[in-house]
Amino acid sequence: MTQLIFFILVGLLLIASVFLMMARRGRKAEGGAQALVDARHALSALQLDLLPSELVGRILAMRDSEYIRAETSPRIQEMFRRERKRIALSWVRQVRGQILSLRRFHLGAARSYAQLSFRTEIGLALDFAALLFACRVLQVMLYLRGPYAVPRMVEATASAATRLCSVSEKSLAFLKPAHPGSYLDHSAGAA
Amino acid sequence: MDVQQATDDLRRRTLAEIPRVLDRLIYLASTRDYNTGLYYHDGLASRFGQEVACEALADCHREAFRVLVGASLQDLVNQMQGYMDSTHTRATDFLTAWRKLEPYRVAVPVETDPLLADFLFSNFKIALAILEARLNRPPAGPSASPHP
Repeated sequence: MTQLIFFILVGLLLIASVFLMMARRGRKAEGGAQALVDARHALSALQLDLLPSELVGRILAMRDSEYIRAETSPRIQEMFRRERKRIALSWVRQVRGQILSLRRFHLGAARSYAQLSFRTEIGLALDFAALLFACRVLQVMLYLRGPYAVPRMVEATASAATRLCSVSEKSLAFLKPAHPGSYLDHSAGAA
Repeated sequence: MDVQQATDDLRRRTLAEIPRVLDRLIYLASTRDYNTGLYYHDGLASRFGQEVACEALADCHREAFRVLVGASLQDLVNQMQGYMDSTHTRATDFLTAWRKLEPYRVAVPVETDPLLADFLFSNFKIALAILEARLNRPPAGPSASPHP
């Protein structure tokens, strides 16, 4: 009788573990696909929209700052500083958000899709951590001092994010954006 | 290839007559049906078909947007001054309407990156403030100079 109960318990445990494994596998496939889509979107957004040097340069263009300082009243100068600060903070918030999305993919689903060495993964993890920390510091600096006080820091963060995207893209070649190009075009049709 | 030809045709025949990028952006946005997001241009459609004309207009709209985002604040102020003068509206009425209605918000192409759109809107706001300040500035003249 005791043996029968033991075998029934073992059988139930086996059935439960099979169900658990099936549930985990299903969740992983679904989550992995979603993570893949998110990572692809994050990489495209970073490489095409947020990180091109034209955009960063445009937001921090000194010619605008100099024009405002030379031609306008203190009230408009203050408005200009406030607006540029808001845009710069929005930029770094979006960069950080997309980096987080990309990191989620690397932490979770990347192993299923790419042949990443342990060393590459550790390197990427450190790069992600450093970049996310840099974004936080930049947010604080932008908030306290405004974008024109920390242009080098903005450029350095953008460069670090660009490098990280390149590494991520190389290790996950299938994430390459379908439509390369830049949003800013100074050459065409200018009046 | 058809779209490229239609785009070239649009640039040569229509957009060449509109020198300011701001005017081009507003013109191209006005060819878009706000209910469907599709662009219409009878002349272009008769030569290249509606679908190709729509794509050509959308391409030129995106291009005008990119160029305007890349323009300096000073250039944008000058373009807005020129556009305002060309409407033959009283400057105060024009500036009040633009400040309150923010018509530039509907002039951006669809699927524009929100940050870029926000950046351009921000520049419009600053440019409007500069034009308003210019309008309210007392005229410089003999009466404005200090008496000896």
